[in-house]
Amino acid sequence: MVLEATMICIDNSEWMRNGDYNPSRFQAQADAVNLICGAKTQSNPENTVGVLTIAGKGVRVLVTPTSDLGKILACMHGLEIGGEMNLAAGIQVAQLALKHRQNKKQQQRIIVFAGSPIKHDKKALEMIGRKLKKNSVALDIVDFGEDDDGKAEKLEALLASVNNNDTSHIVHVPPGPNALSDVLISTPIFTGDSEGGSGFAAAAAAAAAGGVSGFEFGVDPNLDPELALALRVSMEEERARQEAAAKKAAEEAAKHEKGEEQPSSSQDATMTESASVTASEADNKRNDITDEENALLQQALAMSMDDPASSHELRDTDMSDTAADDPDLTLALQLSVQDSAKDSGSQTDMSKLLADQSFVSSILASLPGVDPNDPSVKDLLASMQSQSEPQEKKDEDEPKEEK
Amino acid sequence: MSTESASAIQKSQVDLVDFVDWSGVECLNQNSSHSLPNALKQGYREDDGLNLESDADEQLLIYIPFTQVVKLYSVVVKGPEEEGPKTVKLFSNKEHMGFSNVNEFPPSDTAILSPDNLKEKPVVLKYVKFQNVRSLTIFIEDNQSGSDITKVQKIALFGTTVETTDMKGLKKIEDH
Repeated sequence: MVLEATMICIDNSEWMRNGDYNPSRFQAQADAVNLICGAKTQSNPENTVGVLTIAGKGVRVLVTPTSDLGKILACMHGLEIGGEMNLAAGIQVAQLALKHRQNKKQQQRIIVFAGSPIKHDKKALEMIGRKLKKNSVALDIVDFGEDDDGKAEKLEALLASVNNNDTSHIVHVPPGPNALSDVLISTPIFTGDSEGGSGFAAAAAAAAAGGVSGFEFGVDPNLDPELALALRVSMEEERARQEAAAKKAAEEAAKHEKGEEQPSSSQDATMTESASVTASEADNKRNDITDEENALLQQALAMSMDDPASSHELRDTDMSDTAADDPDLTLALQLSVQDSAKDSGSQTDMSKLLADQSFVSSILASLPGVDPNDPSVKDLLASMQSQSEPQEKKDEDEPKEEK
Repeated sequence: MSTESASAIQKSQVDLVDFVDWSGVECLNQNSSHSLPNALKQGYREDDGLNLESDADEQLLIYIPFTQVVKLYSVVVKGPEEEGPKTVKLFSNKEHMGFSNVNEFPPSDTAILSPDNLKEKPVVLKYVKFQNVRSLTIFIEDNQSGSDITKVQKIALFGTTVETTDMKGLKKIEDH
């Protein structure tokens, strides 16, 4: 989901008339461009894409970076084939177009389709590459079509001089039965740097491969959102049922460790939390599917995976909902309240700090208007200390007991 | 005059590192393993082993926005004798500069660093030009020895703040 402005450089030189890609090199290129534009705009709605041609009479910008997909597709119509490709000029114009993008926060990227022979030498290309790197512009190169000696080398050299932490890629597509776009879909050019693949790309891949898709439950949310949601709900219910069963068993053990901040019991607390949340959610879902419970689902999943500290915020919202439902649940919730009260490392650290009288008195001394020698302040300190001491004693005892 | 420049860090001047808006800090042409926080952030910049290094060539363009308006008094640039910066141009309140347009505007100040400066002697700036600074752009044009890589160990900015409201600091009054 990187925010990006992309300029696509299309090769519309005479070499594109060749039919070694189906139906013609130029058509295959156009299809690939369409797909790329779609993928970019889908992965982040604020992405912009622009198109320019690097052959013909000269480098010509067809559309400046925009997020309007229709405009981009429209400009691809009626393109003339002819002339010779001027790679250096094309890249420089693309860089200029990116420099004047509306949203300066976007990362800059150029995608070049290099289908005809390259007349520049390696040195010149390397200089261009270095200039791109200096201005933090990433470059993707699609090497297809003509394969004269040195072309692949030159392009590799160009890539090496631009590449900064693998943000730039090169793809060599030899002529063959596979369409150019199909080959590109599986490359990092489509899937972005180290992303698992945008939804669009994965869907396209699924359609192309006609088989295994990368989605949960084997259903594309784009195609059939209700089915995907229903499958997800039933998975959650099953999981909640299993967790409730596990929770009941864990509760027996949890009861023996009241008021403790054991890792195991706090995990139980989180499990009960998530179980209660998902249980209430499951109820809700049967009646009313809203956005709110999606948020709850996310939180429940996050909680059951993450540390107990995150369960705090949710407690308040959950308690009122679920208290009435189930006596076991209420017991578990009360337990978790107790746990959470002493839960999370940060809180015990706090109480330990507060117990450290010297620390507290130094803080008090720095506060204006508070005299640490004031008897009322002293009483307060003493009471706090006595409170934290039995807690600490319990903390120490129970781990020994368990182990 | 000489006493002033000797104690260039006067009592009213503070180190402006606390007022840097880290979310907007940018550096062009930096080597990703030797990046700007190595030279700018408290703690990292004291470590001489951690440098900011340039990547493709010897120039560096650093953009530092502040959380409030500041007046800039002096600047300390510390670097190694050979690869430390030489010509440093400072631009105030110019956003999103690139290497191509850096020569189009006259800089607010230019400093040619001597080896003394590279040993942490502060460079006193034209104070009048830096009275109302929201963001600072530092363009390091070349280095002492003319090598391909410029290394900077520390960049410290000294000045005072102008009393402006830091919007992020606005908090709702809590009921006690």
